[in-house]
Amino acid sequence: MAKVTREVVERAGVDVDRLLELLIKNASAEITTYYYYTILRFNLIGLAGEGVKEIAETARIEDRNHFEALIPRIYELGGRLPDDMVEFHNISACPPARLPADPTDVDAILKVLVEAERCAVRGYTQICNMTAGKDHRTYDLALAILNEEIEHESWFSEFLGEGPSGHFLRRGETSPFVSKFLR
Amino acid sequence: MRRFTVDELARYDGKDGRPAYIAYKGKVYDVSGSFLWRGGRHQALHAAGIDLTAALAGAPHREDLLDRVPVVGVIEQEEET
Repeated sequence: MAKVTREVVERAGVDVDRLLELLIKNASAEITTYYYYTILRFNLIGLAGEGVKEIAETARIEDRNHFEALIPRIYELGGRLPDDMVEFHNISACPPARLPADPTDVDAILKVLVEAERCAVRGYTQICNMTAGKDHRTYDLALAILNEEIEHESWFSEFLGEGPSGHFLRRGETSPFVSKFLR
Repeated sequence: MRRFTVDELARYDGKDGRPAYIAYKGKVYDVSGSFLWRGGRHQALHAAGIDLTAALAGAPHREDLLDRVPVVGVIEQEEET
């Protein structure tokens, strides 16, 4: 634990234990989403599915990156991951992004994907709201992740016909916002 | 529809296997089946068994998410003295 790091965040008025719980729950959401997206991606087949596969893969990899980026901050603040993976799964900040009953229904898969991203957008907005102007490092990290989650939501939303996303697919490397936390 | 007092609502805190109910704008919702209310807690910030009308104003979601859970009653307003 980085003692002074935690102390200054506490002195700024943040309930660090509550913040840690949120960070751990969101880290769980990221790694479980990475797992479930792996299954969703494999089932995105056929004329409609193949078109979505690339963004599903990008979102999958970036969610894993978010997990990796969150962990150092959790330990810096004095938190830790659960020893038990089942417990970790069950405290996720977002419901499991399970394969729909009809795995050939691309729209149903897209709805699972967009719901997962919307849950993440809400979660990181909450963390940004809690830490803005108080815990600069957590805020910077949560904002970086939020930027990527918003893009994921926009991509899937566009495929569902909800309107133009205003975004392009990644060109080259993943995690343009979060990569600075992965070095 | 069942009427809940504030004290009755408090018993539905989602702990130790009890159902998890919350109140919002006069209605009582059963969130026991929601993954996001496991153990009667929501996102480390909110507990079941209480009226969350004021809290939802600061939440990063709208009230329409409550359409996904059943309404099980109404909350009785305390009389002003």
